[in-house]
Amino acid sequence: MYHNILLSILGAWLFLAGPARASNERVMTVKTTVDGMVCSFCAQGLVTHFKKHPAVSNVHVDLTRKLVILEEKKGATIKDEEITEFIKKSGFEPKKVERVTDAFEKVKADKKS
Amino acid sequence: MRSLCILLLGAGAAAAHPVSFQEAWQLMLGGTESVQNFEIYHSYTSKTAFGFHAMRFEDEGDDDYYTGLQHNWLLKRWNLPEAQANVYLGLGAGMAKQDGDSAAPAGLGFFRADYETRRIYTAFESKLIGSEDVSRGVTSLSFGVAPYKAEFEQLNTWIILQLEHVSGMEDDLDVIPKLRFFKGPYFVELGCSLDGEPLLNFMIHF
Repeated sequence: MYHNILLSILGAWLFLAGPARASNERVMTVKTTVDGMVCSFCAQGLVTHFKKHPAVSNVHVDLTRKLVILEEKKGATIKDEEITEFIKKSGFEPKKVERVTDAFEKVKADKKS
Repeated sequence: MRSLCILLLGAGAAAAHPVSFQEAWQLMLGGTESVQNFEIYHSYTSKTAFGFHAMRFEDEGDDDYYTGLQHNWLLKRWNLPEAQANVYLGLGAGMAKQDGDSAAPAGLGFFRADYETRRIYTAFESKLIGSEDVSRGVTSLSFGVAPYKAEFEQLNTWIILQLEHVSGMEDDLDVIPKLRFFKGPYFVELGCSLDGEPLLNFMIHF
């Protein structure tokens, strides 16, 4: 009886912790839609702010798709709240924050949002 | 040569970026042969900046000078999906003088409204300086088009027509076609009024 309960708990822990651990070890790409981003001179602050963040290894601004694309360092995470705060500090209006497993360069090269 | 030095030392009235992103410094300098401008500000939030502003007005009579500290506010920004619009206010306090006179306390008021998409640019800007001896105003209206939609890392090019009125000058209204280029944190404007007066503006964020 106790043996079955212990096995169930262990199974549940492996089921839940496994994907979480895997996503922490994978390099994630974060896409954020930003309104008002029409001028590259004015959007310099976005790159300046995100490059200073210890969890971010790469930043790209796509004016056509109105996207800020971030690459997280392996095992590190930038919180959604930090992303929206940085975008506001740069003078823009953040919209949707989306995390994808596609490589940073692939998301950057993609022509569709 | 003297004119060139003045241009290189002096920020253009219609190229101002009074508040930048939080923690940024912005340096703006340039002008025309008759009006030169130097501004440096630190944006301590994304809506407020504080810094130093100097202007020189060259005239057939007396030259006027202004130097002062200035605070700028981004009063309102509209971040739209395909456009951005801004309203700025600046207030300054310092000293102004005419050639041969002693400096007197002076004040500066500044207002700017602009609207920009990736292809269209419009801006209205007005700057007033007043002291016991000096009374100057610079008001400009600019319209611009971008011949192509530049991406973030590319060179941006704009073709702009600037109408500028400087009070106290011989010519009441200047029509200045100009080219604007920017890439990364660097911004340059080159122009020439229909009267043949050259314009040069430079701006950098750091």
